[in-house]
Amino acid sequence: MRLARKDRFSELEPLLGKVLHPARYLDHEWGATEEQDGPFHACLIYPDTYEVGQPNLGIAILYNELNRAEGISCERAYLPWVDMSALMRERGVPLLSLESSSPVASFDLVGITLAHELVATNVIETLDLAGIAVRSSDRDEDDAIVVAGGASAWNVEPLAPIFDAVSLGDGEEAIVDIARCVRSCRERGLARAEILRELSRVENVYVPSLYDIVHDETSTRWGYAVPKEGTGVPPVVYKRCIPSLAETDPIPQRMVPYMGIVQDRLAIEVLRGCARGCRFCQAGMTYRPVRERPASQVIDAVCEGLSVTGYDECSLSSLSTTDHSQCEHILRELKMRANQNGVRISIPSQRLDSFGVDMASAVSGGRKGGLTFAPEAGTQRLRDVINKNVTEEDLYRAARNAFENGWKRMKLYYMMGLPTETDEDILAITETARKVLAIGREVCGYRRGKSGVSVSISVAVFVPKCYTPFQWQGQLGRDEVRRRQQLLLQSAQDRDIRISYHDSDSSVLDAALSKMGRAGFEVVMEAWKRGCRFDAWTDQFSYETWLEAGRSVGIDLEEVAAETFDLDARLPWDHTSPGVSKGYLKREWRRAVQGVTTPDCTMTSCVGCGVCPTLGVDNVIAGDRHAR
Amino acid sequence: MPGRPPIGKPDLERLRVRFIKNDRLAYLGHLEVINTISRSVRRAKMPFSVGNGFAQRMRIQFSQALPVGAASTCEYYDLYLTERVDEGEAFELLRASTPKAMAPTEAHFVKSKLPALEAWLTRSDWDIRLFGRDFDASALGLALEDLKGIGKIDFMRGDKPRSIGLDSTLVSWALEDCEKEGEWDCVHMTLKTRSSNLGALRPAVLLEAAFKTPVLAGAMLDSTRVLRQGQWNEAEDGSLIDPFDPGQLL
Repeated sequence: MRLARKDRFSELEPLLGKVLHPARYLDHEWGATEEQDGPFHACLIYPDTYEVGQPNLGIAILYNELNRAEGISCERAYLPWVDMSALMRERGVPLLSLESSSPVASFDLVGITLAHELVATNVIETLDLAGIAVRSSDRDEDDAIVVAGGASAWNVEPLAPIFDAVSLGDGEEAIVDIARCVRSCRERGLARAEILRELSRVENVYVPSLYDIVHDETSTRWGYAVPKEGTGVPPVVYKRCIPSLAETDPIPQRMVPYMGIVQDRLAIEVLRGCARGCRFCQAGMTYRPVRERPASQVIDAVCEGLSVTGYDECSLSSLSTTDHSQCEHILRELKMRANQNGVRISIPSQRLDSFGVDMASAVSGGRKGGLTFAPEAGTQRLRDVINKNVTEEDLYRAARNAFENGWKRMKLYYMMGLPTETDEDILAITETARKVLAIGREVCGYRRGKSGVSVSISVAVFVPKCYTPFQWQGQLGRDEVRRRQQLLLQSAQDRDIRISYHDSDSSVLDAALSKMGRAGFEVVMEAWKRGCRFDAWTDQFSYETWLEAGRSVGIDLEEVAAETFDLDARLPWDHTSPGVSKGYLKREWRRAVQGVTTPDCTMTSCVGCGVCPTLGVDNVIAGDRHAR
Repeated sequence: MPGRPPIGKPDLERLRVRFIKNDRLAYLGHLEVINTISRSVRRAKMPFSVGNGFAQRMRIQFSQALPVGAASTCEYYDLYLTERVDEGEAFELLRASTPKAMAPTEAHFVKSKLPALEAWLTRSDWDIRLFGRDFDASALGLALEDLKGIGKIDFMRGDKPRSIGLDSTLVSWALEDCEKEGEWDCVHMTLKTRSSNLGALRPAVLLEAAFKTPVLAGAMLDSTRVLRQGQWNEAEDGSLIDPFDPGQLL
């Protein structure tokens, strides 16, 4: 039922003194859009706490685009922490938007970001707290239209019954098209079913209720989606892809939060997409092609952004910032123009070569914290399998360069459970760390018997994701993951090598949610009913509850996570595509098994992933890229 | 209270700013206040000085932390500048770049060798409204007298046990019943506290302890509205010195 639009902050205020971090619920941040006149009202929701959701660049971009559009206002909402949601339920206060403190259930359009798979129960919790029916099919005629989008929308099937529509790909234009479509439909007095039909005609919008799930000999146990008869919807919905980043607002984040948030800094998106072709990386496949923002725009945006927000740090964000063809020029200019008064420029990941170290050195000035590299696998054989186009020599050269430039702490990211992995690959991780440590000690020398050099190894559990060459693979079993973790721990005997690894339980859930089809929704719903929420928070996650929820609806989550799909099977997500062709993914899988690498198309020639011809786009490189 | 020494170097200009903290922003914690003000100073493009430490932080010092949920008309910070700017212009720039609910209300240059604000401001006046059930001003007064007689309050901050002596920190109070607000009984309290090297008395700690005394058994405190309305340095002779006292100004 649609609630009345009115300011209900007075009902929330008495609760602020009783909860942790009341700043989560305050709004009125510097740069927030105060005018919310509508008359069409949209609310964008990140289904986690404020401090996790507020830095999300995607929401910031869509928020600005909607507020810029004539006659449309956009607000934000986040999922209250468990203490606040319990009090809100107790006192009958529904989920409110931040800007106007209106009930989320009073909005015309509600957009939910799916940043990763583990937000599944939070999506249900969000809608339930808002007082909006969880299933699309249960909503009343005048209820808000609930749409989703984001990085993990590529296999949206386990949550498909929730959403009226799903926006695929770049959202900055699509969200305005969706809002205008809903507004126009409401003005024409169309019924809800007709509105959904109209939404399916908006480019790159998937309307789950207009597709049936079919099981046959060509499918996996989850079936595949086909258009319902007579709906005229496309068999495959492709992603929206903006052709050039230069045409977009370079400073979407002008809002300055009061509380400390997880990425408490200005973020400027310097490029979108990555063509390095790492075979485990979903973002690398789904954000193609590569579109660079011109250097002059990046530099001006950093200077202006810092000036209007007052931040003392700016992150040049992207999947692979040091691959920007003008990276060196950008960092040199920023060092002169912005790198003063304690302002820091940061780049989120370093390339594993000397150029990466040079760039890190350019932004660090005299301050040297830790330097992070991601070799991902311990042996050259396995790095070739995953197409991580770096060699052992690259790593050692980069490490030597870093130690010579004053760094003493190095962090190395790896994955465990990659296809074809053996114990030899695991043991090679610590062997590599030992060699890096030795280089560090050699370069830095000893003072009073100590070098001060340390190497930290962080090991994640590999999760096979859709639209990657590893999408057909099952995840390594939980017990075997634990055995390999122990093997790794026991192999490190130097106290200056520190090892940390991810929780294998939440990785099992991640893998299961990444693999399931629409029938998986029943598990998610059951888990939520049993109290699961904030599953990405270690202290809230209950593996046992999830397993029980699965069992109660006849699904063994560990079995699902470990399941391997036939290479020729029709997959549960085949109908929502980022444009990368199945033929390319199969080819890449075969090359992986043979240990054959594939180059980066922005540095050599086309590798035939299919994105450019399918979507009618191309890589946009501002300068010249070449393999350094 | 053994406070930190001032962080400014003698050649830096020390701008003292009084600001408010009210409405929703009363719920900001001290770290959040520091971050918000620091960003406001950057937006105002003030010629602030930066420390030489690893993090290269802005040279700025604040008065004592205000409890989360408490509003104030009189918070202070000292901002160290690398050059002298026009006082009025600096005030206007800061006002234009600070959220309204934390707006500066006065700014003056002060002498560079003064002690740090956090330790120097030892006296606070509070205006408090208490909402709850089954209590009134006289019962609360008796409870406070009981506490005063005991001389200290043992309490928990997070999971750590703490203790605060009342002889030095609790200066005085006054109470009156006021009109019911909605379903809640209401008492108006004015409270004067002193901080010392033994600690500072927070109104919430005092009130929580008061409602645990036998006098208020059965009473229920639902919420409070707390406003700090004055901060001073208490001189040895007991006189109160305002942060903008002519003796402080350049």
